[in-house]
Amino acid sequence: MTTSRIENPIIQVNDLKFYYPGNARALHGIDLSFPEKQVTALIGPSGCGKSTLIRCFNRMNDLIDGCRIEGEVILEGESIYDQNTDIIELRRKVGMVFQKSNPFPKSIYENVIYGLRIAGEKDKKLFDERVETSLKAAALWDEVKDRLQESALGLSGGQMQRLCIARAIAVNPKVILMDEPCSALDPKSTARVEETIKELRDDYTIIIVTHNMQQAARVSDHTAFLFEGNLIEYGLTDQLFVKPQNQQTEDYITGRFG
Amino acid sequence: MNPAFLKKIKRNDRIAAWIITIGGMAVIVSVVLILLLITKVSLPLFYSPDSQLYTSFQLPGDKTGKQVFTLGMDEYLETGYIVDSGGLVRFFNVTDGSGLDNYQFISESGSQSLVSIQRYGRLNHVLHWNDGSVTIEQVKFSPFFDENNNNLRSIQHSIERQAAFAAPATGRSEQVVARINEEDRQVRVDLLQNGTLRVSLTEEVESLFGAAELVEATHQLENTAVGQITTMILSNDGIQLYAGTNQGEILRWNLSDIETPLLEEVTQAFSDHREITALNLVFGDVSLIVGDNQGGLTTWFPVRNSDTGWKLTLIHELTGHAEPIRSVSPTPHDKSVVSFASGGVQISHMTSERFLVGIDPPEKISHYALTTRGDGMMTLTEQGQLSSWKLDIPHPEISFKTLFGKVWYEGYSEPAWAWQSSAGTDDYEPKLSLSPLIFGTLKGTFYAMLFAVPLAIFGAIYTSQFARPKFKGVVKPAVEVMAAIPTVIIGFLAALWLAPLIERSLGSMFLSLILIPAALMISIALWQAARKIEPLKRVERGFEFLAIAPVIIIAVAIAAVLGPGLENWFFAGDLKQWLFTEMGTRYDPRNCIIIAFAMGFAVIPIIFTISEDALSNVPPSLKAASLALGASRWQTVWRVILPSASPGIFAGTMIGFGRAVGETMIVLMATGNTAIMDLSIFNGMRPLSANIAVEIPEAPVDGSLYRTLFLTAVILFVMTFIVNTVAEIVRQRLRAKYGRF
Amino acid sequence: MTKMKYMNRYWRVGEPMVWLSGAALAVTLLTAIVLLAVIMMNGLGVFWPSELQELRLKDGSQVVGKLIRSEPTSDNSGLRRQYKIANRDLYGLDFRWIDEDQIVSEQTPDQLLVLERVEHGDFYGVLKGLDAGTGNALSATVDDLSEALGMVESELGQLSELEDKLKAASYRIEQIRLKTLKLDFQNVAENDPDRQKLNDEKQVFSQKFGNLVELQTKRTEKARQARAIFVAANGQESEIVLADIFQVYAPNQMSISDKVVFYLKKLAELFVGEPRESNTEGGLFPAIFGTVMLIFVMSLFSFPLGVVAAIYLREYAKDGILVRIVRIAVNNLAGIPSIVYGIFGLGFFIYGIGHGIDSFFFPERLPTPTFGTGGLLWASLTLALLTVPVVIVSTEEALGAIPREMREGSYALGSTKFQTLVRILLPMASPGIMTGLILAMARAAGEVAPLMITGVVKLAPALPIDGNFPFFHLDRKFMHLGFHIYDIGFQSPNVEAAKPMVFVTTLLLVLIVLIMSSVAIHLRNKMKKRYTFGTF
Repeated sequence: MTTSRIENPIIQVNDLKFYYPGNARALHGIDLSFPEKQVTALIGPSGCGKSTLIRCFNRMNDLIDGCRIEGEVILEGESIYDQNTDIIELRRKVGMVFQKSNPFPKSIYENVIYGLRIAGEKDKKLFDERVETSLKAAALWDEVKDRLQESALGLSGGQMQRLCIARAIAVNPKVILMDEPCSALDPKSTARVEETIKELRDDYTIIIVTHNMQQAARVSDHTAFLFEGNLIEYGLTDQLFVKPQNQQTEDYITGRFG
Repeated sequence: MNPAFLKKIKRNDRIAAWIITIGGMAVIVSVVLILLLITKVSLPLFYSPDSQLYTSFQLPGDKTGKQVFTLGMDEYLETGYIVDSGGLVRFFNVTDGSGLDNYQFISESGSQSLVSIQRYGRLNHVLHWNDGSVTIEQVKFSPFFDENNNNLRSIQHSIERQAAFAAPATGRSEQVVARINEEDRQVRVDLLQNGTLRVSLTEEVESLFGAAELVEATHQLENTAVGQITTMILSNDGIQLYAGTNQGEILRWNLSDIETPLLEEVTQAFSDHREITALNLVFGDVSLIVGDNQGGLTTWFPVRNSDTGWKLTLIHELTGHAEPIRSVSPTPHDKSVVSFASGGVQISHMTSERFLVGIDPPEKISHYALTTRGDGMMTLTEQGQLSSWKLDIPHPEISFKTLFGKVWYEGYSEPAWAWQSSAGTDDYEPKLSLSPLIFGTLKGTFYAMLFAVPLAIFGAIYTSQFARPKFKGVVKPAVEVMAAIPTVIIGFLAALWLAPLIERSLGSMFLSLILIPAALMISIALWQAARKIEPLKRVERGFEFLAIAPVIIIAVAIAAVLGPGLENWFFAGDLKQWLFTEMGTRYDPRNCIIIAFAMGFAVIPIIFTISEDALSNVPPSLKAASLALGASRWQTVWRVILPSASPGIFAGTMIGFGRAVGETMIVLMATGNTAIMDLSIFNGMRPLSANIAVEIPEAPVDGSLYRTLFLTAVILFVMTFIVNTVAEIVRQRLRAKYGRF
Repeated sequence: MTKMKYMNRYWRVGEPMVWLSGAALAVTLLTAIVLLAVIMMNGLGVFWPSELQELRLKDGSQVVGKLIRSEPTSDNSGLRRQYKIANRDLYGLDFRWIDEDQIVSEQTPDQLLVLERVEHGDFYGVLKGLDAGTGNALSATVDDLSEALGMVESELGQLSELEDKLKAASYRIEQIRLKTLKLDFQNVAENDPDRQKLNDEKQVFSQKFGNLVELQTKRTEKARQARAIFVAANGQESEIVLADIFQVYAPNQMSISDKVVFYLKKLAELFVGEPRESNTEGGLFPAIFGTVMLIFVMSLFSFPLGVVAAIYLREYAKDGILVRIVRIAVNNLAGIPSIVYGIFGLGFFIYGIGHGIDSFFFPERLPTPTFGTGGLLWASLTLALLTVPVVIVSTEEALGAIPREMREGSYALGSTKFQTLVRILLPMASPGIMTGLILAMARAAGEVAPLMITGVVKLAPALPIDGNFPFFHLDRKFMHLGFHIYDIGFQSPNVEAAKPMVFVTTLLLVLIVLIMSSVAIHLRNKMKKRYTFGTF
């Protein structure tokens, strides 16, 4: 077992336990810290709890009726499960990109500024500016700049996913959670998305869940390996893949199971 | 993010959540309340009657020691009166017993001494004086609204003499009954001391020259009874005379012919020869109430029998008393019976045979009277204690038996299930049996389903499994649009277009029922044979329903041409006549055939759509697996797909059934709306739903009919609710199984 | 033996069964087609000015009529024809069957006229003379007749203006009467100024009313002076007041284009005209208006309520056994017979709430009910209740079909539940919601049974909207196309004469309902496609 403590982490997870309705425990007490402005990958076999874990960081699990959470998650020094935490503020700080790309059935432009609109923003100039920067950051600008008012549903799968990334960036989050963002994409689109991630690492803290170890190796600085709701190993990506400390980690990354 | 805005959207969110939750729940709750509400309206049908002591006091001013003969009161339980043996009428205030004014009855000859008083109708009194003369006096109460005094209501009373009969030469009789009817026909019947009966009639007859002439006649009545006459009663029109004997016989005379009164029958009513102690006629003068010395209370009326003619028959046995019955009387507004024995006064309803209320104060009752509306009663005990009672008898004619069982109604030759809620007269006995209506509903539904289910299910099988997707994309929406055709249109066409058409060409219709299947079988067999020929083998499948349509059209056309000839040949030209003479069934132009077509047409789309959904949602893998094993396409459907989809098909059929049960306009227009219980396909019926539509506009609010109609609505609701719930549960299971909405 | 085997196989493989199931579908579709065809055939031709035939029969008599149809005689010896011979006031019956072998000759003379009259239906005959009010008839041409008719028409136009004024005056008098009643009820003294004022007003209006009536009588008398004399087929002469003639045309002189124009005119009259002759002739305007108002008011209730309930069920209620039961119950309610809703409307809305309103707000008018009797409001509420399940079910299905990712995507960007609902879910579900609403409206347009006991009438004296304050009179009784069909098809004294109008009404109603539901089903299928073969 490793419990990596990093100086000045942006997210600090302390003994996090998570129960699905019916008291099925999905996380058995995770202790983990995430460094700021770096990419951390969460890997592990299906059902190991990695998605559950990152959905705890923006309290997406609150949508599930009857789930229960113990322990604490500290974002920039404040516990996000505190009574006083504002869930909306939290989600604006912690953006998320989902496994299945989910652009709204609106125009590309409207998709990007959705987060601003719901925050009550009405400044047209700000919208234009933010659309451009976000799409550029998501490396989509060149492809869509001429058809911003067209429906987002007309984009290709990879473009849609990058639009979702742009949508997440548009509200200037601190952290971007990515839940297997490339699982539904073809290799070429995956490469584009990975490129995007690499470009974003300088400005944002990115936590990415993936079951693709190559992807983790390619894009992340740190990697955590989860297995059956436990954190097995955590370390710099280079180290973890080259010299895993734990037998289970080694078995997993060498492909003996998973 | 702007904190003020954040606050605002969060507040909006909370408010919205509240509104939606409250609104949503309110909508759902209020919609579910429907059942409770209509049940609430129909529930009072089953409330048990209740009696309450209203006022009680010692009879005022009784110092003469004269015996009280009768008493009575107004509708509002405000003014009462007693009549004593001296012919003195004393009015008093019912609430406190304080005396009002008095009135003295005097006979024609000036006598002030009475032998007996009989009461009938609306406070009519037959006074039998000790000199043998008789007068009929009516006490009248009329409400008076004082305009000068804030429209305060008070009750004013008056007394009016209706008729006077002179004393007979033979002196005083043992018993007397007398009536005067609306045409001033006066009838007086005397039971003489020697036991013989004598009738005196006075009638106004128009003479040949148009002048009115008074005719009088007196006869001795024929009497073949073994026993002694103990009691007698004359109908209010003075036509029917009944008498009971101490040997349990009832005699019936008809006095309509002034010259020859006729003894119509002597019936041994009770085989144990018990004494008949009281007779009276139920409101409407059809049923005879008989009380006997063993406390038994029964009602009788003449029923026509092919051997013996009209014969008094025991119809209803009501709750009796433990002691001999002293008197019986009708209630003045419905078919209830008041009976009086030393144990107390009871009210029962004749039709429903329900015991309604009993009044049984600790002291023995000597006299009683009922208000004209039947909602109040006054009793006088032997000790002179006068009490008034409020009666609450909401729906005396309704009981489980009258609603669902066979009941022997007045004028019927046997017990029957009947629905006939009202007639022109007040004294009508309402017939509120729901059985013929439920029967009608089920009959119509049955024939409609017989037509719709095979067509809908097979059509759905074809559409989902065999038709080309291109057709499916057209057929499915087309059938769904069919579902939207208003039923009033279907009903109208069925009644005004289809019914005359079928009536005209009944033979053709039956012929096409034979010809269509035959033509189908032949053409299919031919096609099967033809497909062996090489070029036809390549004809694509999935067009069958288009190819077969001309066959059906041709078959119907042939039937239409051949039908009349066939009718000529076999049924002497007229199938309807033949049905009537040979089979004994009457052909009703608006009948079950029409209903089967029309209502069937209305439910086909529902069954079709749901079945088709169920069939289409069976995973294609199942079908592929079966076909891969070498099963034919029909075998695959029959053995693999149909079983998987059967819950959905069942659900569709159920929902279609529910729709047919509740369908109103089609049955209202395309059936005769006659409430008969006859399985024949050539007859109409009256279902629950149409009955509501027909009767509710005429039903007085909160009356028995109104509440009974609400009860039928409850029955309809419950029937469809059960059927739909079962279907819905089955459907949800199926949905969970195949995971599609 | 081999034959047996073959037969067995024949049935086992079941190809005939496939055909039979195809036949079942064919029968279903054929019945639907026949139904529509019957409505079309009978409904479309009603207004066509087909030619008038003059028949000479074997017995020497003459008949003028429009051929309706011919069919075999009952003994199959030949054909018989049904003619509309009109002239109800002369012959008693509008229709007559004539055996073909009785007909000696048939002609279509040009001078035959059709008169559409205010009373007694059509008149077929020849113009004989014109009496412009002088008392003696002069022979005249058809042109003279139309000229005279034009003059009468302008007089009638003035009369109808008078009529409007009369109506307004009588409305005012009624209002004053009701106000006086209220004062009576409140025991206001006789010398109260309000009462005085009302009395004065009443005086004024009664005076005005009286004057108007007088004027109307005079003018009517004048307008009714002009008469024309016509000769019917049997030689009988008939003097007809020109004011009673609605329209005159000579079908045998009309060209096809004339006929088309005439047909279109009649169609227009159908939509904007008032009904005549106990609804069997004239227009359908009040019925169309009543139907539209009913649907409109019903939608005002059922749409928001249904959508809110569905949103609650799908988005806000905690999923559990209770919600499942409620869902079953809601689905169920869609299957409850409409007559049950009707009786509920009667018991709850009319006798419950309506009586309550009356005894609270209008006690002075009792026992004459204001809201405690059937009316547009109660009928609409009843229908709203009936259609709420339809809206709930389709809204729920539409919301349920929206992928979870949409909600998550919105929440992840920091939107509240309400924002997600308004900005994402409702727009996405709108086709489904529209489908539900349209289906509900189509159902309301065709539903009759519950209306019959909650306020629909054969002939409403006034529309639910008019120029009198408060403009919307939801307590008024109204007319409805569906009930119109039932009423004139089944309650009118002369069913045969009413049939054409019933078919026209039927055609109109079928078209309305079919178009509405086609649109709804099209929308729904489009929506289904979008989610099933979506772009994800």
